[in-house]
Amino acid sequence: MVRPIRCLATRALCREQRIAGMMAVLVYGWLGMAASLPAQQPNVHYLHHGIMPPGAIGSRQLQRGGPLPGFYQPVEIKAPPGALVSLAVANQFGESLPTPQKAGFLIGAVYRLRVTNIRMAAGMEVFPTIEVIDRLYAPRGQELRFPISIEITEADLKLALEGKFVTRVIYLEDPRNASPVHDPSQAQNWFETSPGQDPLAVADGLGRPVAILRLGARLPPSQDEVRGLDMFFYGSPPFVAYRPERPATPQVRNLPPPEMSPAPASKPVEEQGR
Amino acid sequence: MRSLEKSFPSDKSAQAVLPEPWRVVLIALCTLVLCSCRAPADGRHAIRQGQAYNETLPAEAYTGMQTTALAAAPMGPPGMEQGVPLPYEPRGPWSPPGIRQPWPEDEYLRDGGDEGRPAGVGDQWEVLGLEMEDTVAHYDTLDGRTVVEPSNKVFIYSPRFGAVRQVVGLVANEERRRVGGVHAPLKLDSPTTLQVVTDAKQNIQAGNEISDRPAVAMRSKQGDGIMSSAIGPRAFQDAFKPFENLAVIRQGLFEATEMPFLARGSDAAIAWSHTQAVQVILDRQNAMAEVKYDKSMSVYTVGFPPGKPKLRVIKVASTPFAKPGEEVDFTIRFDNIGNQPVGNVTIIDSLSTRLEYIADSAQCSRNADFSTQPNEGDSVSVRCEVIDPIESGQGGILRFRCRVR
Repeated sequence: MVRPIRCLATRALCREQRIAGMMAVLVYGWLGMAASLPAQQPNVHYLHHGIMPPGAIGSRQLQRGGPLPGFYQPVEIKAPPGALVSLAVANQFGESLPTPQKAGFLIGAVYRLRVTNIRMAAGMEVFPTIEVIDRLYAPRGQELRFPISIEITEADLKLALEGKFVTRVIYLEDPRNASPVHDPSQAQNWFETSPGQDPLAVADGLGRPVAILRLGARLPPSQDEVRGLDMFFYGSPPFVAYRPERPATPQVRNLPPPEMSPAPASKPVEEQGR
Repeated sequence: MRSLEKSFPSDKSAQAVLPEPWRVVLIALCTLVLCSCRAPADGRHAIRQGQAYNETLPAEAYTGMQTTALAAAPMGPPGMEQGVPLPYEPRGPWSPPGIRQPWPEDEYLRDGGDEGRPAGVGDQWEVLGLEMEDTVAHYDTLDGRTVVEPSNKVFIYSPRFGAVRQVVGLVANEERRRVGGVHAPLKLDSPTTLQVVTDAKQNIQAGNEISDRPAVAMRSKQGDGIMSSAIGPRAFQDAFKPFENLAVIRQGLFEATEMPFLARGSDAAIAWSHTQAVQVILDRQNAMAEVKYDKSMSVYTVGFPPGKPKLRVIKVASTPFAKPGEEVDFTIRFDNIGNQPVGNVTIIDSLSTRLEYIADSAQCSRNADFSTQPNEGDSVSVRCEVIDPIESGQGGILRFRCRVR
């Protein structure tokens, strides 16, 4: 059987068509794959996890750059009524002050607090930590008016006294996804997560995490353990102490003038005659 | 080529990939897929293609200008159909004073403007495309059109915080270990490969720097002499508030010295310039009539431009920052800067989730009907319907109060 001799011109023309057809198939396949790419995106892989030790998340935040190093972010610490809060200076707690207290904390540093005078727990102390992991960009001159609000509730303190470990991730709400609640008491909205969930990831889904509060499961070492004190106080990083806001003095306005009664005579006239 | 193929029907290499009809169908499909990729279009193009309810509206309903009429009747030298070009470009989107782009939008409340789908008025006079935080005004023109005009944006610094709590007990830390089973000396069939993380989500930090950035240029333009008249005190309580002490709010007149105060807390100040004003430029030559002894050779006349209805909506807030629980006053100034009266002027402000409208706090300097209706953000949309038509050069003020949640 003799095969026909192929025409070179026809082969050349068919080669171009073949290449064009293959290119079309490739483009079509590529477009088809590109259309399904968004659905194939994997889940978000967070670099940080809520169970990381204090200071780890903040230090990584600093490594990512930005106007974070050296910035003292104003923070307002609120505790239940009657409770006293003191900050640590040079591995020693300072004066216990009522709340709310405002202070400027460095981003990435860990600050150890002491909460005393807890209601229904006389003599008990809790040593929470605060780690600021992001900052705010308040208008100039309004930084102290809009601090990061960190609330230590009475339930958190009781859980810590019972031996639990409480983690609160404070986040800045996204105004477009904010919950439409208005609490006249100005209490902070918060959500509970199960132990299997990552509170940092949950907070990231609701807004921008800015601080982490941790309570419980720690007791201060003795004064002899210098290394233990450094680890307990995390080096006592510096902070800016702001003066507490004085309550507004009541202004006396439009008071009625005092009644001007005539001064009595030293002695009645009748008595003088006598 | 076809004759050659017919002469060699047994050449299988020509039919190796796909038959010719399938190739034609494949190329047609690829062309269709490629044509379906839409390039970013301008807002007007998107309006006309995106929403079905907008297809019944003319293009002038979104621009407020008669494009065809303007093209047919030039108002000046070529290239100046929209007025005399200014030497400065628009300054871009709003950003807080002293902070460069990008800026942390999650710390600010926005109210005003028309984000997302552009708002439009349907056949049943319902306002479609009005989303949360939008503020628009729509009105009817003499030629039967319904024009939608958004206001500028107002930003208020008001961060609010929430918390996510997790309680872990000591029992959760218990870990019981035991013998892991029987030792089985099996060799590995394949090496274990660790999957390298290729995608990670990181919070994008705002790369801002606090720095002084004084205003270097202001863009302003004088209109054609049409000015708003003074506002009468009818149905309008209280005097002007301190943040309303601007000539553009009180009288609708722009003053160059007030530009920094307006630009500080509002957006799109460039949109307030009178680029839509009526202008007649005759190339610095006066209109003249040439008369001779025999007869007039040519007569130059100056014609009035076609009707250009235009409503200007300016919104300001009483404070640039507010904490939850505080109250904020919003003032909306609307002026008819066109050359014909407009009617059925309706101003709608869909409040943000974090703004709570205080009942019965709305006031208007003109006869108007107020109403509120819930929006998708669990807040309300404040609706103000001005009863009487607004003549050219006149305007009014709408004011209401909100509480920050």
